[in-house]
Amino acid sequence: MNKQFLKAGMLGLLVAGWLSQSVWAQSDPTGKRRVTSTYAITNATVFKSPSDPGSKATILIKDGIIVGVGTSLTLPKEAKLIAGDSLFAYPGFIAGAGTMGISKPKDAERPKDFVSSNPPDEIAGITPWRAAADFYTASSSQVEDWRKAGFTISQVIPDGGMLPGKTAILVLGDSKTNNFLNNNAAVAANFRSSRSMYPATLAGVMAKFRDVYQNTALVLDHERMFATTTGVKRPQVSPTQEAMKAVVQKQQAVLFTAGSELEIRRAIALQKELGFKLILTGLENYESVIDLIKSSGTPVLIKLQLPDEKSIKAQKSEGVTEATKAQYARVKEAYDAALKQAALLEKAGILFGFSTADAKASEVHQTLKTMIDNGLSEKAALAALTTNPATILGISKVAGTLEKGMLANLILSTDTLFKEETQIKHVIADGYVFDYEIKKKSQKTDTSAVKSENPSNAISVEGVWEYTSETPAGSSGGEITIKRDNGVLGGTITYDDPSGSGKASAPIKNASLTGKTLSFEFEVSAGGMSLSVLISGEINGKSMDGALSVPQMGSFPVKATLTSPNLAN
Amino acid sequence: MKKNIFLLAALIGLGMGTTHAQVQKGSVLIKNATVLTITKGNLESSDVLVQNGIITQVGKNLTAPTGISTIDATGKYLMPGIIDAHSHVGLDVVNEASAPITAEIRMKDVVNPYEIGIYRALAGGVTISHAMHGSANVIGGQNATLKHRWGSKDPADIIMQDAPRTIKFALGENPTRVHGRGNGIQPRSRMGVEAVIRNGFNEALQYKKAWENYTLAKTQKGNTSTPPTYNERLQTLVDILDGKIIIHCHSYRADEIYMLINVVKDFNIKKLVFQHTNEGFKVAPEIAEYTMGASVFADWWAYKMEVYYSTAYNAAILQKNGALTSINSDSAELIRHLYHEAAKTQRYGGLTDEEALAMITINPAKQLGIEDKVGSIEVGKQADLAIFEGHPLSAYAVPQMTFVDGIKYFDRNSDQLDQRQWVAATEMVEPIHLRANEEAHRCMQDVDAYFEAFQGAFFSEKH
Repeated sequence: MNKQFLKAGMLGLLVAGWLSQSVWAQSDPTGKRRVTSTYAITNATVFKSPSDPGSKATILIKDGIIVGVGTSLTLPKEAKLIAGDSLFAYPGFIAGAGTMGISKPKDAERPKDFVSSNPPDEIAGITPWRAAADFYTASSSQVEDWRKAGFTISQVIPDGGMLPGKTAILVLGDSKTNNFLNNNAAVAANFRSSRSMYPATLAGVMAKFRDVYQNTALVLDHERMFATTTGVKRPQVSPTQEAMKAVVQKQQAVLFTAGSELEIRRAIALQKELGFKLILTGLENYESVIDLIKSSGTPVLIKLQLPDEKSIKAQKSEGVTEATKAQYARVKEAYDAALKQAALLEKAGILFGFSTADAKASEVHQTLKTMIDNGLSEKAALAALTTNPATILGISKVAGTLEKGMLANLILSTDTLFKEETQIKHVIADGYVFDYEIKKKSQKTDTSAVKSENPSNAISVEGVWEYTSETPAGSSGGEITIKRDNGVLGGTITYDDPSGSGKASAPIKNASLTGKTLSFEFEVSAGGMSLSVLISGEINGKSMDGALSVPQMGSFPVKATLTSPNLAN
Repeated sequence: MKKNIFLLAALIGLGMGTTHAQVQKGSVLIKNATVLTITKGNLESSDVLVQNGIITQVGKNLTAPTGISTIDATGKYLMPGIIDAHSHVGLDVVNEASAPITAEIRMKDVVNPYEIGIYRALAGGVTISHAMHGSANVIGGQNATLKHRWGSKDPADIIMQDAPRTIKFALGENPTRVHGRGNGIQPRSRMGVEAVIRNGFNEALQYKKAWENYTLAKTQKGNTSTPPTYNERLQTLVDILDGKIIIHCHSYRADEIYMLINVVKDFNIKKLVFQHTNEGFKVAPEIAEYTMGASVFADWWAYKMEVYYSTAYNAAILQKNGALTSINSDSAELIRHLYHEAAKTQRYGGLTDEEALAMITINPAKQLGIEDKVGSIEVGKQADLAIFEGHPLSAYAVPQMTFVDGIKYFDRNSDQLDQRQWVAATEMVEPIHLRANEEAHRCMQDVDAYFEAFQGAFFSEKH
């Protein structure tokens, strides 16, 4: 049923695309349709692949394909020119195992005869038939954020339990088109247990994984018999087994999320025992298992985020005992080692890319720079962002390099990629051009200097803001009260109480105003859990436009208006 | 040192697999110790030679072959490494509490070689622990027998690979509370516990038959029988019935101990060890006659209703009745002074030194099915050894060095303040406070988390 739904959806998208192309091509009441799908980036410094030293060339793209890269191209009249003279062109980044734009499936209803010792697969987090494609929203602000960071293709994984579903590979292109390259790419797996039912622990998850796998293999045997022999009883294949067949037949890989060394070992142990194709993702601590990864030939997607520096910054230099200092030293040692891990993968010759799950798009540039400062070569970094993931995801024929015939996915930056000051000016994804504002660093520091000396020059944020936010659960809103106390921003926010009716209120934490961007966090408690919500928005006069993001759930648009300014005065 | 061995192997081209890091084996000569062999008496001023992880000579005036280092143990006691037949140290998960039978669960899947409890156990002379599933279920998961090779990063390297399979059973209050009271399913009573076991074994017999039929039919021409469903839970019960797995059963009351003896008799199962067994003294002859004995606490009781009728003479009474008896810890704290726990059998029951020490060495080895490999100091056995200052049963005993397979993993003289193997890069270093009342035992670990979503108040006791 899910599949049919998907097919119908795909058909719908195709039909819609076709309609918009041909039937409505004559008029465009929205005025948003682009004038041309042909672009030429002229005279840019082009890096075709990680090993390319870079040379001046013009790139011609048409209908989402690179139709030429060279110095003597004939540019068609309809080509819109982008002056690339001061720009550096790179293949668009590719990420594996992301969660951008993915919404959480609705909780399945518990049957009346529910028994926690033997729950239905769907409730126990065993939903390999689900497709990430069905839960993807191309217009999500997370997709926007990652594209802004240079990513043009991503694999996305569905949200869920131990076998959440099938991954999809998509282009981060125009949100109104169908962006899928492959919506049945691999089956995602992780060691996440189902709370309060079987499998309730990591040990249960491993046992259940074996059970699902072995019984899928038996069902395949049964089906083969049924097809060839008369008198064989009809095979009854569960949706889980149906979805796992391709894994057992080694046509599809299992994309296993394994953050720690022990999880990596456990995933590889399961792979050795059962024999499926394995890709590891979300790796955070892997220094001691590099040899194992290498010898098992497992491709890996490491987490594109380094450990939080908070613990290092919290270390005090005075007033602590020698014993505490020794503990500090061990944490520092672990921290330094963590930064060097990516370089060790390169040294070991392991095929690795990045996973963007649980990583912050805004920190990508810094993260990559830190990895490079700690021994990763720029060439290997670029390969991990382009050609390696293309190989791992099986799309190297169409993506990963800037060559004729490849998908028109590229980055135009202000300097070579990994310099501190480098900024991304344009990202072209699926042949659509996305422009980004280039911030002038020097000016920015000037204004912030003025601001800190004279806060009255700062943008006025104090007062009561009325906000609304659009979430999948509907529209909600409340009031944000911002105050500045001794130069420190703070205040409160009200929101629709998730555990009932009316409004709840929470204090604002970590508020900051950088340029025109106001951001802050607050905690929402619901059902005994506490969620940290981040609001970040750009202020223009009395209005603010931005996003509200909830970890693991997604990012949703937020709009606010300043209704009673200067409350504090 | 490990690195050097790897390098060397690479150079010589031995092709030592890096995927399965080899377990390290050492050679050492320990001289002039009072050797407590456990099985062959005490030897004054004697030497023990270990070569490549195996005890090769026990005697006087032995000389070390070239390249083998010597440890002078004059005035010290050398005993076999202590074996703890009931522990939860080194496990990331203890209870998969979600079903009355979870025989498919493997504790080997969740072994954590980084856990500091392993080092602390070594510091108490313990070289082997039986890392058990918890007692939430009537038939819990399969346990792992661990060798405390501290410093190993691969869980496979601390699992005693040549130890037989064992499985956890549990009777009485824990499974009835979790499943009966907690979830409203069988078992709600001790009778229900028996029914769950009997039904489980009967189902396993059917499962075995179904697969036998299928395997046979498959070879016939024109076969139309299709494969039965794979069920590792039932297959594990089949393996118990086939004598491939030793049952280790959490139990307290005499009636339920006797019940299980009758059940296993009915199913012709021979390999059964009782754990805790606080009322074992009431059915000691029955335990002695039919089982592989009991593994008990020295003096720990009254933490819940079914554990009130207890005595510190339990171990001695069992022993005098001919039941194989061991003393266990079930605790990351008690595991550090099991030699002290064993000594209590001398105060309560007057056991000899040899009998008392057997309760933490050769007896638990027998209950784990590894007595041919460890548990005593004999030529040919694996060199798991502990050196003590003072007799291990003395209140003044202090463990000095602990060896597993001839490799020294603990040395009191080089013990560091911070022995952790792994530190998180994001650890917030906080001042260390010593706490009393810290929960030391983990028999019911993960059960609280399992129930907290919808209830929880009644989980105050843990065993």
